[in-house]
Amino acid sequence: MPETRLLLDLGLMVVAAALFVFLSRPVRIPSIVAYIFAGLALGPALGLVEVSHTLEVISEVGIALLLFLVGLELSLAKIRDVGRVAVVAGLGQVIFTAAGGFGLCMLLGFGAVESIFIATALTFSSTVVVVKLLDQKKELDTVYGRIAVGIFLVQDLVVIVALTLLSGLARGDEADALGILREVGLAFGGMFVLLAATWAATRWSLPRIFGWIASRPKALFVWALTWCFLLVMGAEALKISVEIGAFLAGISLAQLPYHGDLRRRVHPLMNFFIAIFFVSLGIQMEFQAAAAQWLPAIVLSLFVLIGNPLIFLFIISRMGYRRETAFLTSVTVAQISEFSFVLAALGLAAGVIGEEILSLIAVVGLVTIAVSAYMILYNHGLFAWLNRTPVLRPFDPPKGREVDEKKNHGHLLQDHVIVVGMNTLGKELVRRLHGRSIPVLAVDTDPGKLAGVEGPTLLGNAEYLSLLEEAGLHRARLLISALHIEDVNRLLALRAQEVGIPAVVLAGDQAVEDELMLLGVALAINSRAAGAAQMVIELESRKVFQP
Amino acid sequence: MTFLAVLLMAAALAYGVSRWTGLPSVPLLILAGVGITALIPVDQELLLDALVLGLTLVVFTAGIELNPGRVRQWRGAAFQVGVAQFVLLGLVGLGVGLLLGLGTGPAVYLGIALSASSTLVVIRILQRRQLLFEPVGRIVTGVLLVQDFLVILFLPVAGQLENGVSAVASGVAATLGLAVLALSLNRWGAEWVVRRLAFDEESMLLLVLSILFGFLGLAWLLELPLVTGAFLAGVALSSFPSNLLVRGQVSSLGEFFHLLFFVALGAFLPFPSLGELGQSLLLVGAVLLVTPVMVAWLAERAGLSARPALGAGLLLSQTSEFSLVVGILGVSAGQITPELLTIIALVTVLSMVTTPFLATDRMGLMLMHLHPSRWRTPDRPSPRDHILLLGCGRNGMAMLEDLVIAPYPVVVVDDDPLLVEKLAAMGLAAYRGDISDPAVLEQVGARDARVVISTIRRVEDNTPLLRMRTSGLTLVRAFQEEDATRIRAMGAEPILYSQAAADQVMEWIDGMMDAKEAPRA
Repeated sequence: MPETRLLLDLGLMVVAAALFVFLSRPVRIPSIVAYIFAGLALGPALGLVEVSHTLEVISEVGIALLLFLVGLELSLAKIRDVGRVAVVAGLGQVIFTAAGGFGLCMLLGFGAVESIFIATALTFSSTVVVVKLLDQKKELDTVYGRIAVGIFLVQDLVVIVALTLLSGLARGDEADALGILREVGLAFGGMFVLLAATWAATRWSLPRIFGWIASRPKALFVWALTWCFLLVMGAEALKISVEIGAFLAGISLAQLPYHGDLRRRVHPLMNFFIAIFFVSLGIQMEFQAAAAQWLPAIVLSLFVLIGNPLIFLFIISRMGYRRETAFLTSVTVAQISEFSFVLAALGLAAGVIGEEILSLIAVVGLVTIAVSAYMILYNHGLFAWLNRTPVLRPFDPPKGREVDEKKNHGHLLQDHVIVVGMNTLGKELVRRLHGRSIPVLAVDTDPGKLAGVEGPTLLGNAEYLSLLEEAGLHRARLLISALHIEDVNRLLALRAQEVGIPAVVLAGDQAVEDELMLLGVALAINSRAAGAAQMVIELESRKVFQP
Repeated sequence: MTFLAVLLMAAALAYGVSRWTGLPSVPLLILAGVGITALIPVDQELLLDALVLGLTLVVFTAGIELNPGRVRQWRGAAFQVGVAQFVLLGLVGLGVGLLLGLGTGPAVYLGIALSASSTLVVIRILQRRQLLFEPVGRIVTGVLLVQDFLVILFLPVAGQLENGVSAVASGVAATLGLAVLALSLNRWGAEWVVRRLAFDEESMLLLVLSILFGFLGLAWLLELPLVTGAFLAGVALSSFPSNLLVRGQVSSLGEFFHLLFFVALGAFLPFPSLGELGQSLLLVGAVLLVTPVMVAWLAERAGLSARPALGAGLLLSQTSEFSLVVGILGVSAGQITPELLTIIALVTVLSMVTTPFLATDRMGLMLMHLHPSRWRTPDRPSPRDHILLLGCGRNGMAMLEDLVIAPYPVVVVDDDPLLVEKLAAMGLAAYRGDISDPAVLEQVGARDARVVISTIRRVEDNTPLLRMRTSGLTLVRAFQEEDATRIRAMGAEPILYSQAAADQVMEWIDGMMDAKEAPRA
């Protein structure tokens, strides 16, 4: 293989990323910050890697997949119960932060277009960072976790508008207001066409097309990616940003019943590509440009770290949420988003902002993401400490408008049985467990097999740890696998053993049964022995053994 | 980005056709790639990078799946069949290559390209026909693992052939050295890395990719083909539980680059001439004629009965995705022409496309008529009014304890010669045979039996019995409800093993709940 340059560059990037992630683990720096540091080491510091055309494409794919994934997360059902607070707080914060950020930037001496880019970059919080941290803390399903997710989803919607507006602005002539307006109009026109086409496809075509291929998970995955890049191409053709196409592709598929499985499949792919994107970002960063921006970097970082949470504290507490809920939610938004880097890259590519703004936003991103990660990880301790001071007293809910937060609990299955594999055995077990009023969750990769199964179901491949987490394995009372797939059964036995819940697993033969018992399986189902015994019972009932 | 979108669209089309026709996806992906070059201009830099990246990930994920544990007690048989098929088909390829005037170097490449069968195609068929964990499935899986390993081992041989014996020897020694490192990591380090060092899925993905790139770096330093490094990196992670723990992270990446590789390969290939097409058909003919006969003969010697052995031969009658790897390495080393790569790719595409049509139960039964065992005259009269047990096994033995007390003679048929010998020594009428063969059923008096009990799992294998008009009671094992419906429609009585298993599980759950409640009481 003579084309070793790409492999060498990719190898250096991956190994450096791994090294920085592991080195930064003791101080709990989020991985994307570690990636940027890895890029800084490989590029500006050591000069080992230059970003080639293929690496640029890989980075673009990373951004597209990231937005596709965020779109896939945008299931309306998830935010229904926190919809009002999410919309009000999300929009309110966007307006206040954008206005505050723009004012600050003008005060710091930036031009109007630069200020718009910086203010917009400061406005959005990082869905990926926060969701990842909440997931790590197992607090995604708490009231504040769900409100935070709702807010991010609202922000993600606003991002579409911001991206459109700024892509129009980026292509317009700064001096010609009419030109900007025309470009913005064109971007909105393109956006409208793309939205209409996506809506029509979502309404009439996608369910049927994807329903046809859904029984083949691999093909479903490929079709979903193709749909994503088709819309990306469509967005490019309509002169709007690639990111919008990917985001809309995600949203349109989020309405299908397979979106959870797709999300789990796309996630590792996104992890790889986005790591390359962030490392590339670090490689392309300029230290000198950032060093000259130290004052704005400090001011803007403080604005995001303190100003953003204060805005949220005020809005959320006014809406009747408890002081603690308002605080915990507010802390999650004290950083800027990966969109901020995308926006900056967009502005840089269009030539309307310089590299110093990209570096400034990167520094603010690094600082705010790193500090807010600590704030989120230790949010309960931080609240307990601040709650002993008078600082949080103004943020109590108005009398008579308190929200009953307890009613929002109860979505989770608890002490349930997870049955993987909806063949006849799996379905029969689900039916019988229901008959005994035992809560049960049915899991399969084929939507056709889940159709008609009583009670809650989960579509997806049990090989993914994220599926088992979504199934609430650590809260379950029992895991049953009716699958005929030895490898997956062994993996499920291992996963159950790790979280300390009993597992009942179908064993193909004696050797498999012995292996499963070594893995701590509570019962290895021997269908052959059970069936043979049933045969004898049948023969007895037919009086075959009598003369 | 547009280039990637086009590749993905071609792949989506190929998967759609695969879903519609039931053909394997690999040849369709390659054909879709060929279609791209016919329709639009291709960015050569991106195409080559996609090919290199795709190749690396395809070989790496194939290495991760190389877990000998799946083969279980059939390791010896799989090794014998795998090595023999590799050597014999390799010699056939070498001979045909020399006859076609290719020269020694390219003929060696052709030999290696013809010597292995396709893991991707065969495993899919085994899964679809629920044969993966049957003896035939385990032997075939083992054969594929052996062949993949041998292909990778022989790559340095082919690459260094023109530099003399010492270069070949140092290439093999370096490969073996890297293999020892991979196996050591597999034995002592992989589980620690995956379970202790990785603290979340993202860090696990980074670790796994770091191992891959680490091995690529070592292969580069040792002047080995990079695919050797990629494959051995996979081998390092192939033991339980590392292989399964990383699968959730690597499989999406593998699937993505898998399709990228095959479509890019199709786009990379020159369009074949009529002469190349003719040569390809000749080679496909050689693969289709030689493989089934040779594998069936070898598998029978290794302990399979006639029909599963023939089935294994039919399943393995195609060349491998690794053949394409061999071809690409040959071209990039300048040792074979792009036209020979086209021939290798054509042989792979054509032989893969024919496999689903050849490796069927019907074809197996048809070919059984040509099997020498069919020419032997039955040497015993058909029994009457007896209990006929088809398929004995461990649980059948337990059933026999009850059956022998019945006031009717018991006849047992199984395809395991050792079991049949054991039963005969116990004084039972036991015969070795394939119960899906109507002639065997006639010989053991299935038509006139008082009771026929079939413990054979697949309905397809029970079909000859179900088609036979029997006077007595016929009990047939079934697991799925739809199989039970089919059995009932053909006049027999299904015994749903899944219901019996469900009883077993519910009994255990009741016991567990009682035990929990007992202390409270």
